[in-house]
Amino acid sequence: MHRLIYIEEEVADHPRTKAICDRFPKATKIYCKYYGEVFNRKGQNFRLQKQQPALILARKHKRHVLNAPDGYGIGGRHNYYFSHMLNCVYDCRYCFLQGMYRSANYVIFVNYEDFQQAIIETAAQHPNEETWFFSGYDCDSLAYEPVTDFTQEFLPTFAQLPNAYLELRTKSLQIRTLLKSEPIKNCVVAYSFTPDEISKALEHGVPSVEKRIEAMIKLQQHGWRLGLRFDPMIYQDGFEENYKNLFEQIFSRLPAECIHSVSLGTFRTPKAFHQNMVNLYPKEKLFAGRFDENRGMITYQKELEVKMTNFCYKQLMQYIPQSLFFACTPPE
Amino acid sequence: MINIITALQCEARPLIEYYKLRGNARHSAFRCYQNDEIQLTISGIGKLAAATATTYLAASNPGGTSCAWLNLGIAGHAKTSIGKPMLAHKIIDNASERQWFPGMVMPITCDSEVLTTVDKPEKTYRKATMVDMEASGFYAAASRFQSCELIHSLKIISDNQQYTSEQITEKTTLAMINDNITTIDSIIQPLLELSSELNTIEQPPPEMYDFMAQWHFTTYQQNELRHLLRRWHALSLSNKPSHHDFSRHTTSKTVLIAIKVFLDQQPVSFNNKACQ
Ligand code: SF4
Repeated sequence: MHRLIYIEEEVADHPRTKAICDRFPKATKIYCKYYGEVFNRKGQNFRLQKQQPALILARKHKRHVLNAPDGYGIGGRHNYYFSHMLNCVYDCRYCFLQGMYRSANYVIFVNYEDFQQAIIETAAQHPNEETWFFSGYDCDSLAYEPVTDFTQEFLPTFAQLPNAYLELRTKSLQIRTLLKSEPIKNCVVAYSFTPDEISKALEHGVPSVEKRIEAMIKLQQHGWRLGLRFDPMIYQDGFEENYKNLFEQIFSRLPAECIHSVSLGTFRTPKAFHQNMVNLYPKEKLFAGRFDENRGMITYQKELEVKMTNFCYKQLMQYIPQSLFFACTPPE
Repeated sequence: MINIITALQCEARPLIEYYKLRGNARHSAFRCYQNDEIQLTISGIGKLAAATATTYLAASNPGGTSCAWLNLGIAGHAKTSIGKPMLAHKIIDNASERQWFPGMVMPITCDSEVLTTVDKPEKTYRKATMVDMEASGFYAAASRFQSCELIHSLKIISDNQQYTSEQITEKTTLAMINDNITTIDSIIQPLLELSSELNTIEQPPPEMYDFMAQWHFTTYQQNELRHLLRRWHALSLSNKPSHHDFSRHTTSKTVLIAIKVFLDQQPVSFNNKACQ
């Protein structure tokens, strides 16, 4: 429940602003000229703000659709991402958002129509070619659905664009809208997982692995295409057993036939973000292991990366055909 | 630790008594009072005075501790009843139109409102804002030293359209602050907790000083040492870091390398309780 909602003066009368504010009738509304006055300024502390995040409602003026970073795709030639929201209701200790932003407040850009228009225009640049749009880069795609109505608002756009593919990347159980909607072929609901032991230690506020699998089963039964994302893979002593059990846990309940794609990527963060994350949580075990710097990224040492990727890849191949597999690690 | 800035002695006096603050003769530029957790400075009226006192207090307390900041005082408001406490959720400097947004992460036990800082007393009341003469100067200065979640301005409404500012006296001001001392304390305590939380996060591992007494570390190396010792603690190893274990090393450089090599070989396991 938000106590404070910051509202850009420009969107004060936007119907979506009003609808969102109606969900928090007790929240104090504070008006600002530009959301950057409140969000991500110098002199803010992500860790402290995470204790009581405020909501910020704003307009995104440009760059509604951006090129996806290397390694983010799942086989398509054209990969883009868009962020109707910045920050996340969950608190995964490995999340790069805490290193990227100084503020943990949630920003919702209420001008969805501009994002939709940009998606239509971008898809039109690649007629007859699969063009992927990732929505879970700066937030969890579904976790804030009851407030944002994101899927309800965006699925119709994709339903009319046969060459545009939407990936909803999530750890959330907020699937009510998806279960009420007619599944569309060009949308993949991709769930991220780490093994149970790691999830409990690092994914604060995230639904359990078991609950996520149950959500996937419901989506599958309803006809949605599903993705599995083991990204980031997190190392701990005995990771082989952890990941083996995780794959067994998932594939014993979800047959490979219902899976659209599976991707793997080891934990890696841009150096500056990693440093911020360590400063926020200097006593965190995740950051206490051995890391190397590789072309501006902080990664596990190469040997370990290869060992983890090979092990998990081999395990996965027992359950899925090679054609469903995608590596997330950017090319050397 | 919390630093409190008030404009007037009569705003400060109830706090001095409640928190048993003692005058600090070391300071000559401003009247300052303190106990182990609180430092209070009386700035005088106006945003320039508030900014100067804030900077003075920050500069007279060097060293790594994270302090919270509170500007406490009286303010006018067109419609709000006299004696009501309100926390500022947005501070506007009327002259420059600059604005600040204090980070509201702590529990708030009173209402909050916009606060506009003016350069001269005004006869007419503005709509939907408290009005004072210090907060913007205080906030602009304090935000150079601390993050916005730990900087706040709490005002007690002293005048409104019915009860105008001419009627304010030292005695009424003192009484208003006194009457709200519980609310004031309910803002100060969580701010103290937040500052202590930040200090715990930022605190270097205790063994660091033993290592520094044994070898000479440059500033860069001290950062590296702090990072390595934190890693050591985070890994929940059975043995604590001890400089004795590295006594055969003659230089700080080789000590750092030896600690790093040792830590790089340790297993990481989340099965025992994760540290924060
Ligand atoms: S669910 Fe994703 S976006 Fe949210 S905190 Fe975890 S890693 Fe970050």
